[in-house]
Amino acid sequence: MGIFWLKISEIKTQIRSNRASQQPKKMESRGQETEFRIPKIGIYTGKGASHSWLWFVEIFERLGFYNLCFLTEFDLVSDSLEKVDVLAVSGGDTFAIAEALGPQGARQLKTFITRGGLYLGSCAGAYLPLNSSKEHLNHFNFVPAKITNLTKTLPEAHGMREKFCTCYGCSFIFHAVREAVEVTTSGLPPFGESATFTAPLYGGPPMTVTNPASVMATYTAFTDKTLFLVDRKLAENTLLGNAAVIREKMGHGHLHLYGPHFEHPHFSKANLFLADAMMWDMPHQTAQTANPEDGMNILSGSEKQRFIRDFKRELSNSRIVAAGLEMLPLKWTIGSKVYETGKIRVFLEALWQRIRSFEKERLILVRADQNDLLVQTALHVTKSIRQIKKGWDQKADTLKTATLLFNLLNKTSALFLEIYFRSKLFHTDSAEVGARCIVPLLRRPGQFGKIEYEGSYGQIKKMVA
Amino acid sequence: MEYLASDKIAIVDLNTGDITEDELDEDLVLDKIGGAGITKHLYDQHAADNPIVLGTGLLTGTLVPGSSLGIMTAKSPSTGKVSHVPLNLDAGIELKYSGFDYIVIKGSADKPVYLWIHDGILDINDAGDLWGKDTWAATDHIRDEMGDDLIQVLSIGQAGEKASDLAQIGINYWQSADRSGFGKLCGEKNLKLIAIRGMGLLEISEPEAFVEDCAELIAAIRSNNTTQKQGIAAVSTALGEEDLGDWLAPLTHRHMACFNTPVATNTFIFTDEDPALLEETTVTEPGFLLTDIFPLVALKKAGLSAKDAGLVLKACAKYGIDGAAVAELSAKSGLTSPEEIEKTFPDLKGPVESAGKSVFSPWAAVGQGINADWERQQAVAYILGLHPIWYQMATELTEEKLLDLAGLGTEMEFTRETLDEVIGDILA
Repeated sequence: MGIFWLKISEIKTQIRSNRASQQPKKMESRGQETEFRIPKIGIYTGKGASHSWLWFVEIFERLGFYNLCFLTEFDLVSDSLEKVDVLAVSGGDTFAIAEALGPQGARQLKTFITRGGLYLGSCAGAYLPLNSSKEHLNHFNFVPAKITNLTKTLPEAHGMREKFCTCYGCSFIFHAVREAVEVTTSGLPPFGESATFTAPLYGGPPMTVTNPASVMATYTAFTDKTLFLVDRKLAENTLLGNAAVIREKMGHGHLHLYGPHFEHPHFSKANLFLADAMMWDMPHQTAQTANPEDGMNILSGSEKQRFIRDFKRELSNSRIVAAGLEMLPLKWTIGSKVYETGKIRVFLEALWQRIRSFEKERLILVRADQNDLLVQTALHVTKSIRQIKKGWDQKADTLKTATLLFNLLNKTSALFLEIYFRSKLFHTDSAEVGARCIVPLLRRPGQFGKIEYEGSYGQIKKMVA
Repeated sequence: MEYLASDKIAIVDLNTGDITEDELDEDLVLDKIGGAGITKHLYDQHAADNPIVLGTGLLTGTLVPGSSLGIMTAKSPSTGKVSHVPLNLDAGIELKYSGFDYIVIKGSADKPVYLWIHDGILDINDAGDLWGKDTWAATDHIRDEMGDDLIQVLSIGQAGEKASDLAQIGINYWQSADRSGFGKLCGEKNLKLIAIRGMGLLEISEPEAFVEDCAELIAAIRSNNTTQKQGIAAVSTALGEEDLGDWLAPLTHRHMACFNTPVATNTFIFTDEDPALLEETTVTEPGFLLTDIFPLVALKKAGLSAKDAGLVLKACAKYGIDGAAVAELSAKSGLTSPEEIEKTFPDLKGPVESAGKSVFSPWAAVGQGINADWERQQAVAYILGLHPIWYQMATELTEEKLLDLAGLGTEMEFTRETLDEVIGDILA
C-alpha cells in the first residue's frame, strides 16, 4: 500500500515509530557500548539575529542533526528552552538581542544552562553572555571573560568604516580584521590533539580568561584572505594569542563561545570542531519533547503540491526582485548592524536550495494553519522587496521597509525550516540519521581510534582502531 | 532529460486556465534534438487547438558563442505555414533558465491575460490593466509591478489587440523579426504578453570538455574578421545588404549584442535628441534600439532619413506592428513622413511580400540570399538555439562541431542523419 493511501491513524502510528527511532541508540565498538542520541537543537532567529543563523542550519543538516527548532525572543522568555538540549545563537546585533530577551530571557537562559543545557554562542551570540555593565547586557553576566577589542580611543579605520566599530557606552568595540583567520585549538580535554585551521571572523570577540583550561582555541595568525580594518600591528595585538573559542561550565551545563563563525559552511574543519565540542557537552538527559502529532496536519497529494507551489511562487518572485536590488548601491543601518541588499538573498537562497528536496517529501507535516501562514508571510516578503525597489526608483527612504523586511525574512525562514525539518525527520530513515550523527562522537580521542573522512563535510571513509 | 534542460514542458490551456506539466522525454530530444525541432513537434501534437509554442534550442544559454535564441512557433496568419520567429536579445536565455524547456499555449482566454513564467512557475494573470497599452507602457507596467528590470517581455501592442494581420510580438521595447503575424494570434487568444525571468541553472554532462571546446571556438572566432563588424549597419553590409554605415553613423549612440553573441547586431540611435548634445538630457527616452535589418534597409531605400526611419520603427515597435510590412506598404503609397506613416497603422492590411515564403523570418528583403542553404542554416540555428544572423556569419560553427557540443552537453549522440531528418520535418 502506498503512503498516500494511509489513513491518518496509520500515519500517526508511523510518526510514533519514527519518533521512537530518534530515541537513544546503542553503538557497539571494540566490545564497548556507547549511548548516543540526536540532540534537539534550538536556533535563535528572533530580534537582533542576522542571516548567520542559517549557517548553523546548514551545518547541522549536513551532519544529520535534523531535530531543529527555531526560537524567537518570545519563545526564549517562555518555557521553550525546556524542550531543547542545545541553544545556538549566531551573529547579529548583540544589543538588540539582549534588549529583546530582557531580564526574563536572561533568567530563562541561566536556568537552561545550569540545568544542563548547552549554549552555543557565535559572534554576537558570544558577546551576549560575557560580563558587561551596559544596560540590557548586564542581565547576562554569565562568563567572566574580557574582550580585547574594547577601546576608549578609536583607532584609525583602514576600511569598511560602517562595519569597523560599534559604540559601547563611553567606549567602542572595534573590529580589527574580517574574513578568514587562522585559529589553533588548545588540545586540552575533551580534545586530545591540537589542530590549526581557518574560520571567518565577522566582528566576533577576541577574549581573555583567567582559567587557561577554558580556552578551546586561540587566534594564531592571519591568512591571505584576512581583510585588515585597522593597522596590522594593532590587529596582531588585539587578536593573536587571545582566545577565539572558550568553554565555560555553569551549573550542570556549558557555554561554548566562538569569536569566529565556526558554523560558516565553507569552513569544514571548524564545523567539525564545533560539532565535536557540542556532542561532548550535550546534556545527558533528553529534553522534553512534545508529541509530534499534536495539532498536526498532514499534507499530501494535490494539497501538498498546491502548498509548495504557492510558497515557491512567492519565493521566486522575491528572489527575482532581490537579485535586481543587488545591483543598486543600497544598504541600511538597522540597530547597530549594517545590512546590504545581498543579505536578502542569503535568506531566500537558503530556502530555495531546499525546495526541490521538500517537493520530493511524500508528506508534509504542518501545525494548524502553518502552511497558509507561511505563504502569507512569503507574500509579504515579496511585497516588501518590491516596495524597496519602488522606493529606490522614487528616491524615497526605504529604511522602515527594510527593517520590516529583515524581520519577515527571519520569520519566513524559520517557519519554512521548521516545517522542512519536521517533515524531513519524519521521512528520514533512522539508520541514516544515526550514521551521520555518530561522526562527532566517534572522534573523541582515544575512545574509538581515529576517523578518516572523505569529502569536505566529514562522510566517514574509514575508522582506524 | 537531465542535461541542458529543466526537464519540463508546460501545456497552458487559456480556455480553462489549466496548466499541466510534462517531463521532457530523452527520446524526444534524441529524435528532434531541440528548438524548432521540438516546437514543431509540439505544435503538430496540439495543432487542433491552434497553439503557440515557445521553446529554446538545445545549446541556448550555454557558452557556445551566439547561443541566444528562443523560438516561437505557430501557424502564421500571414502565410498559413507553421512558422518560427526568433526571440533574441535576452528573451531566449531567460526562457532557457525559466524552469521550462517548452511552453504550449492553447485556446483563448475569455478576458485579457498575461503569462508570468519564472523559476518553474507559470502563472496566468489578469491583464485588464494592460489591454490598450502600447508595448512600451506594457513592458514598463510589468517590470514596475514585478520589481525587476531584467524581466523579458514578449508583448503585443494595439495592432495585436485589433487582430491586424501585420501585428508583431515585440521583445521588451523593441521589434522582433516576427513577420508571421504572431501578434495577431496573441491578440485572438486575449494574450497581452508573456513575461519571463529565469534564475535557474543548467547541468552539463561533461562540463570541462564542453567549456574547453567553447573556449577554443571563441579563440578561433576572435581571429575572424567578422567579429570586427559591430552594429546593425556593419552586419548589414557584411551580409551583402545595403550599406547603412554613412547613413546611420551621425545618429549612432552605441551597439548592443544579444546574449553571448560575439557580434553586436543591434544599434541604439538618437531619434529624439540632438546627437551632438553635450549636457545632461531632459528627454526621457532619447533614442531607439534598431534590432531588425529588414525594415531599416527598406525605409532607407524608400528615401527616408535615418532619423525618420528610426522614428517610424519606434512607432511600429510601440504599436506592435511589423516594421518591414509598414515599410513595404508605405513605400507603395509613397509616404515618407513618420507622422503620416504612423497614422496609417490602424488600417494597414496585408498581404505583404516581406512575410516571405520560408518558415523562418527573413532578416533581409525577399529574394536576396533566401535559398536552400539559407534555410538549412536558419534551421540549424533554430534547432540548436543560435543567433540566426550570427550563425550565418560564423563559419567556425560547423554543424559537426555543434553536434559534438550538443553531445558533450547532454551525454547523448546526435548524428548528421538525425539533424537532416529534423530539418526535413521543419521545412516540410
